[in-house]
Amino acid sequence: MERGPNPEDGRGRGELVLVFSTNTRILLAEELLDSLDLPFVLIPVPKEVNPNCGLAMSLQEEDAELVMPVLEKADLRPKDVYRRRGGAFTVQPPEGGF
Amino acid sequence: MIYLDNGATSFPKPPGVSEAVARALANPASPGRSGHKPALEASRIVFRARKKLAGILGKADPERMVFTPNITWALNAAIKGIPLEKGAEVISTALEHNSTARPLRELEKAGAIVWKKIHPRENGLIEAADLLPLLSPRTKLLVLNHASNVTGALTPVEKMRRLCPDVPLILDAAQTAGAYPLEDFARHADVVCLTGHKGLLGPTGTGGLWIRPGVDVRPLAVGGSGSNSESLEHPDFLPDALEAGTLNTHGLAGLAAALDYLEERGIENIRRHELDLAGVLLGEAEGISGLRILGPSGNLENRVATVSVTLEGYSSSDLSSALESGYGIMTRAGLHCAPLAHEASGTFPGGATRFSFGPFNTPEDALAAAAALRELSGKRRAV
Ligand SMILES: Cc1ncc(COP(=O)(O)O)c(C=O)c1O
Repeated sequence: MERGPNPEDGRGRGELVLVFSTNTRILLAEELLDSLDLPFVLIPVPKEVNPNCGLAMSLQEEDAELVMPVLEKADLRPKDVYRRRGGAFTVQPPEGGF
Repeated sequence: MIYLDNGATSFPKPPGVSEAVARALANPASPGRSGHKPALEASRIVFRARKKLAGILGKADPERMVFTPNITWALNAAIKGIPLEKGAEVISTALEHNSTARPLRELEKAGAIVWKKIHPRENGLIEAADLLPLLSPRTKLLVLNHASNVTGALTPVEKMRRLCPDVPLILDAAQTAGAYPLEDFARHADVVCLTGHKGLLGPTGTGGLWIRPGVDVRPLAVGGSGSNSESLEHPDFLPDALEAGTLNTHGLAGLAAALDYLEERGIENIRRHELDLAGVLLGEAEGISGLRILGPSGNLENRVATVSVTLEGYSSSDLSSALESGYGIMTRAGLHCAPLAHEASGTFPGGATRFSFGPFNTPEDALAAAAALRELSGKRRAV
């Protein structure tokens, strides 16, 4: 299931951008989340956060509580997590805090 | 044409393989390098192939399945990439293909390793117990050909593993992958090397190595990986650590389709089918005058469906040519890139003529091969 990224949803919450260390990991994560019908979308890695070629995962912030523990449990924790508000990206703490 | 050269490369490829390659060629992207839709599609193709190839080894972690252009590259990557202290002893069989023998010879010549070989017994088989006298505290690596591409003999890898569970073991599964179930080999080996175009029934230019967790393999080549681009150092996480440069997406699309076919038909079923054909040829060939069959006879369980022969009065290449021109049977003559195996079989330097069966051969093909050998043997006596 895919839902388009929605940087500002009016409730003051935004979008999280998850960067994984390899393409294999992001596609493993995609497969897992798809199988559980969890909402996310794959996007090109925003150049503001990461100079890598390739893909990132975008989540609505309110879905993170569902998605992050699933990734964690499958040993598919992202390398970095950013919050996007407008054009600004802020690094999220590695543990919890969503 | 009767194609009996599946040991060199399999033919035909299963339905769906060429279509998958053509579809991938119609896609403009390279995997893992860009974020647009076609690039994502290419990444998915590679990912699917990676999962499927790791699936050959049972529950092997796909992140540790590294793609290479063929098994020659995979074996070089493993043999040269596992750090060894100077003077380390490395043991292989005396039936290795040059893609193992040459890297080992190179290291030996440079004085980096001491190379020891386990010779087959009289019956053509490697005995696990013959590893024991070669083991020492300096043994740091085992490189084993799972099945000889000359004699078809299977190496008792599981037993040998039990004799030295702590010595890293690199497996050359070129002749067994797709033709022999490998689900347990993520346990029996530390690095499993594969090639896509033989028993796995995929296109040439595909292959890989699976690396057990905890085993360190240094890269042979570094460069673009699509990851860690900010750094001048190549990433150290798998699979990227050992995959520098754009992968063969088109070939991997075909490999994934071939692996679908293997899954559907069942590797154990293919093994039975191919051994039946080898059994027909071996049975029919018995008593043909002047014919010598290399390697193990009798019990088919000790082998894969590769049968090499010599026929008195013919060089290996003359026999191969006569089979092609007179009977339309394709075989491979010579040393099969494995001079060691021919030395061990007493057929060096003349070589032998090899019949290797695949999943699409029929009992009629095996009977035709035997009938041709019988007739050629008769002609020889008439001369
Ligand atoms: C046992 C064995 N190892 C390695 C190879 C090399 O395969 P490739 O040419 O695909 O690298 C072959 C086949 O040629 C083989 O039979």
